[in-house]
Amino acid sequence: MNKPKDHLSPLSSCCRLERVKLLEYEAKQLLADAGVLVPVSSLVQTSEALSLPLPVVLKSQVPIGGRGKLGGVQIIEQVAELADAVEALLVLDIKGYLPTVLLAEEKLLIQHEHYLALRIDRIEGVVQLMAHPKGGVEIETHTSGFFTRTFEPDQVEAIASQLALSWGYEETLPATLLQYLLTDLYDCFVANDATLLEINPLIYTTEGTFIAGDCKMELDDNAAFRHDWQFEAKSTETNFVTLDLAGTIATIANGAGLAMATVDAVADSGLVPANFLDIGGGSDIKSLLLAFERLMGFTHLQGIIINIVAGISRCDEIARAIIAAQAHIPTLPPLYIRLAGTNYEEAMELLTDAGIATLPTLEDCIIEAQEAHHL
Amino acid sequence: MNLELFQAQNVIIQGITGMHGSFQARAMVEAGTHIVAGTSPSKAGSLVDEIPVYNTVADIQADFSVDASVIFVPAPMAMDAILEAVDAHIPLIICITEGIPLHDMIEVRRILATSESILIGPNSPGILVPDELKLGIIPAHLSLAGSVAIVSRSGTLTYETMAGLSERGIGQRYVIGIGGDPIHGTSFIDCLELFEHDPHVSSIVLIGEVGGTEELLAADYIAGSITKPVYGYVAGHHAPAGVQLGHAGAILGSQNESAAAKTGALKKAGVKTATSITSLLSLIAADHSF
Repeated sequence: MNKPKDHLSPLSSCCRLERVKLLEYEAKQLLADAGVLVPVSSLVQTSEALSLPLPVVLKSQVPIGGRGKLGGVQIIEQVAELADAVEALLVLDIKGYLPTVLLAEEKLLIQHEHYLALRIDRIEGVVQLMAHPKGGVEIETHTSGFFTRTFEPDQVEAIASQLALSWGYEETLPATLLQYLLTDLYDCFVANDATLLEINPLIYTTEGTFIAGDCKMELDDNAAFRHDWQFEAKSTETNFVTLDLAGTIATIANGAGLAMATVDAVADSGLVPANFLDIGGGSDIKSLLLAFERLMGFTHLQGIIINIVAGISRCDEIARAIIAAQAHIPTLPPLYIRLAGTNYEEAMELLTDAGIATLPTLEDCIIEAQEAHHL
Repeated sequence: MNLELFQAQNVIIQGITGMHGSFQARAMVEAGTHIVAGTSPSKAGSLVDEIPVYNTVADIQADFSVDASVIFVPAPMAMDAILEAVDAHIPLIICITEGIPLHDMIEVRRILATSESILIGPNSPGILVPDELKLGIIPAHLSLAGSVAIVSRSGTLTYETMAGLSERGIGQRYVIGIGGDPIHGTSFIDCLELFEHDPHVSSIVLIGEVGGTEELLAADYIAGSITKPVYGYVAGHHAPAGVQLGHAGAILGSQNESAAAKTGALKKAGVKTATSITSLLSLIAADHSF
């Protein structure tokens, strides 16, 4: 399976933006569907005969960059090399990922390698084009030469000719080809609700065509309702993050900002937070119980801080889940509970009847947890 | 943003018959907000409590002039709801809905750019002017009227900050959540400008988060244009470094998007910063005890 060993969510890139990261072959299928040229290819899962003529480039399909430097891309010149290469690549771990499939592609005749990407500029709320004349794995080290524009579809002709010039093409044909390419890429970006579409390298072949050498694409999970997505790589979980398996204090909060703030406050006090958990708004008792059970996987826990400030969620729902957890999980460590906001009174009544104490603030929860810790 | 926006008389709720819409409409009425009507497709003619339901915003405008709309419409239909309000020239639009597709928000921003309407959100808890106006879902009973202005990207962390100040006897003039989604309407800078110019505001609290660059722009603006004291906290100091696909993020400097980098930028701009919400509250309380 395509699972990372060390499961950390991309919390720092954005808490609420859930993205579907496509594998190269999935992204290239979307490119091809939009009319963008991609290498002739076939998928390989066993070392049986290839349908492509040699030489081919054999590429591990993992949802992470940097595979080339780790041996995840092999050029196969001879039939005799194929079986061993396939076998080796299928078991080659790339930063915690194993491929379920390899992509075999024709070896292109390269004249130039460029960098081209469409992304979303969050501040301006627009699609942005980013390009560099020299693509490849060292792209991040370039400090100058980037071509960045807000991508306006009705100005694609002007953008393409500026881009062609910035890449050193003085003839009209490459500019025209880039215009078609940019139009197709933008259509692909919008039609698929993409948040990132990066072609690196974009290869200009000796025959004078632009072909997508590699492609990384992320789709907006919030738009899944209007697509029939059947991709291998699923969106990463962002509401539960393991911070430290040896952590002593687990945290539960509602809302990503409050959940991060709860973790920060625990860590600032000198206690070791085990996890980040955002139960969101409107969680039901069943999903909350599952969250409690999951926390039992941390074997060093000395307490759980529950910090709920309810706006759209309701404190009484949380209270019911806490009562159920107390009843169902005999090994539950001490709970330091702070509830505030919507339906607070109902929640307090339920908890008081069940003999469960609460604390007025997050600070009080941390102080009590610290005192228990030092006993 | 001008101050008159926050004196909205007639407020409507788009999506008033849903679970959240009806529950929160009641809470807004209890907090003193004058809700004249709501919309819900095909439920025209019914009532939510005493509030009449119409099919469309335009239908409401035949009977009322509308100063503000609060949107609870589910994400797949939220873009249309926002654009309906923009089309109706509603001065202040607050979108509570979270998880609107980014490409829908690009379209919204494109149309907003040529409109007079102000959009707060999406994925915003809304605005609270304690004892005066509640537009959204911020729990009013945790607030206390006063002169501190809070602006935040988060929902519940905004309430936490507000409640913490209230417990310490420090009242608030504004509590505004600009929204947690990557693309939103009103920015930190828009709110900072409002706070600077409103004589009722004595000091400002800015609550940011890891990810994005909005806090960095806010820091620049504070350094150049804000004379009132600003307190800041950026949540996510202990968030693990994310795994990014592609190079675009790194090329654009995603290392500046960490809580530590943003806190550093705010500090450099003269903001009094803290590394946790509890220490931020203590910091503000220390300055307000005389």
